[in-house]
Amino acid sequence: MSESGSDEYRDLFENAPCGCLTIGSDGRITKVNATLARWTGFAAEQFVGQRLHQFLNMAGRIYYETHIAPLLRMQGFFNEFALDFETAAGERLPTIANAAEHRDAEGGVRFTALVFIKATDRRLYERQLVDSRSELRISLANERETAELREQFIAVLGHDLRNPLAAISAGARILQRSGNLQNEKELRVLDMINSTVTRMSDLIDNILDFARGRLGGGITLHRAIRPLEPVLEQVVDELRTASPQRVIETRFEIADPVNCDHTRIGQLASNLIGNALTHGARDMPVRVGAKTNGNEFEFWVANAGEPIPDSAMEKLFEPFFRGDVRASRQGLGLGLHIASQIAQAHGGRIDVTSSPEETRFAFSMPLAQADERIGKP
Amino acid sequence: MDVLARNNVHVRGRGDRAMVFAHGFGCDQNMWRFVAPEFESEFKVVLFDHVGAGGSDLSAYDKAKYSTLLGYADDLVEIGAALGLKNAVFVGHSVSAMIGVLASIKAPDLFGRLVLIGPSAKYIDDGDYKGGFSEKQIAELLEFLEDNHMGWSAAMAPSIMGNPDRPELGEELTNSFCRTDPEIAKAFARVTFTSDNRSDLSKVTVPTLILQCSEDIIASEEVGKFVRSRIPGSEIVFLKATGHCPNLSAPAEVVSAIRAYV
Repeated sequence: MSESGSDEYRDLFENAPCGCLTIGSDGRITKVNATLARWTGFAAEQFVGQRLHQFLNMAGRIYYETHIAPLLRMQGFFNEFALDFETAAGERLPTIANAAEHRDAEGGVRFTALVFIKATDRRLYERQLVDSRSELRISLANERETAELREQFIAVLGHDLRNPLAAISAGARILQRSGNLQNEKELRVLDMINSTVTRMSDLIDNILDFARGRLGGGITLHRAIRPLEPVLEQVVDELRTASPQRVIETRFEIADPVNCDHTRIGQLASNLIGNALTHGARDMPVRVGAKTNGNEFEFWVANAGEPIPDSAMEKLFEPFFRGDVRASRQGLGLGLHIASQIAQAHGGRIDVTSSPEETRFAFSMPLAQADERIGKP
Repeated sequence: MDVLARNNVHVRGRGDRAMVFAHGFGCDQNMWRFVAPEFESEFKVVLFDHVGAGGSDLSAYDKAKYSTLLGYADDLVEIGAALGLKNAVFVGHSVSAMIGVLASIKAPDLFGRLVLIGPSAKYIDDGDYKGGFSEKQIAELLEFLEDNHMGWSAAMAPSIMGNPDRPELGEELTNSFCRTDPEIAKAFARVTFTSDNRSDLSKVTVPTLILQCSEDIIASEEVGKFVRSRIPGSEIVFLKATGHCPNLSAPAEVVSAIRAYV
């Protein structure tokens, strides 16, 4: 190598844009380049003969002794580790370092070479990332806790509401059976009590389902293969009793027993018809239909009245969504949400069309797929 | 639970008497690669990883259990019971020295000899006691550990765990000897560096050897002498080796010191 070539190498070592340092087999520093000396504020001679950890902050010392030194012996190199120097002025100098052992033929250490890249900004950035991640974690945990408490509260509330309702319902039944109520007005009050109990009971069912779904239980299905028509008939009967002044027309053409959760499909039907009774024109009938059609089961509810505004269309199935209705019919906005959850659990869907002539909710679910799903939640 | 799988236990060598090697904070049983094989002709050599380190079952990591060194000591006693060990030689490095002390107090028949390499009964200074670190420095360490994740990612864990025999280092195994879930590493650092086992030392009933390095910033000579003074009848040998890991930097000296004692 020529003189000038050798000078070039020396210059590259001394003034490279990174700190360079070598450690002898006895663990003591043998060489330091000018760049590292400049960064740390120590003279190169101050390094020689010392141990690297003397120039590190305490965390870096411990880390070097417990991780880096052992790894260097075990795998011969170690790349991209963070190490903090303590400068002559007592300031912290964060670096990212690579290190490699140079070994002799027997595997002994001849020397260890380390290079350091200044990493003040990088480490600040990483530190901020770590900090914001832990902040997020904490606030997420808080949010979860609050949400869980809230939903548990709803679940408990739902349960507690059922008991007094059962008492009211039982009282009404006793009055009805006693035959003591004779005049028209008293009987109408009794009807109203029954209708309110039914509506209240449906609302509570929806609250409980919603809370359960949110608590992670989801809607579980108990499938069976038996006729569905009687279930739908019963749902319609109950709603007719609850709203004696309204007309509900039905047309059921269900050829075979349907594989589904009959109670849940009943709840879906009740929610959709209830929705039509609430929002539909009061002087027009609500039409309900169901049929099996090849591999599909279809159920639909149609009503006349004001069409659903486009702006409301997208949000129909979101929990707590309520359209514009008079306050006395105001529900919780859970009926359609739970109906759609039941539809999804059956592998089905609910389609909505709304025009000035008719608003129609059509539920459809595959029958073939349902067969394959027997026994699975 | 399979204790031997949980702690990635490996038994090698011949001999009636067992020699159990316990790694310290930072890395795993590979720390013993230059020392343990030397005893395989005379001893049944037992190597293991603490839960949370190396090839241990990370799913067995229980925050509450491992919030004190006693949790680790319980594991050690369980490993001894699973292997039917009696009167074994225990060799513990760094924090595992105290884990061995605690296990020996709990199960006095388990070990017949303790060899403690770089032990410290308490790392944080306390009045006249000089552990070598201030509380603030240990807090800085815990924060600093987050700056060195060693390329850890949870997705990587199974491939590391599936390689108990550690073939030639593949790219994915780089740093694996010292790499673990950062949360666990931090928790282990906390339990290690905030431990205080000074009052346990006098309860040790088996012959104990302390191997003390020179210029060990983790466990200073003063700290080693303190352990010597508190464990009844213990002996201390000062090694020429420097630093905290003589099992890697000066294995021959460590091997001959252990051999001379057992």
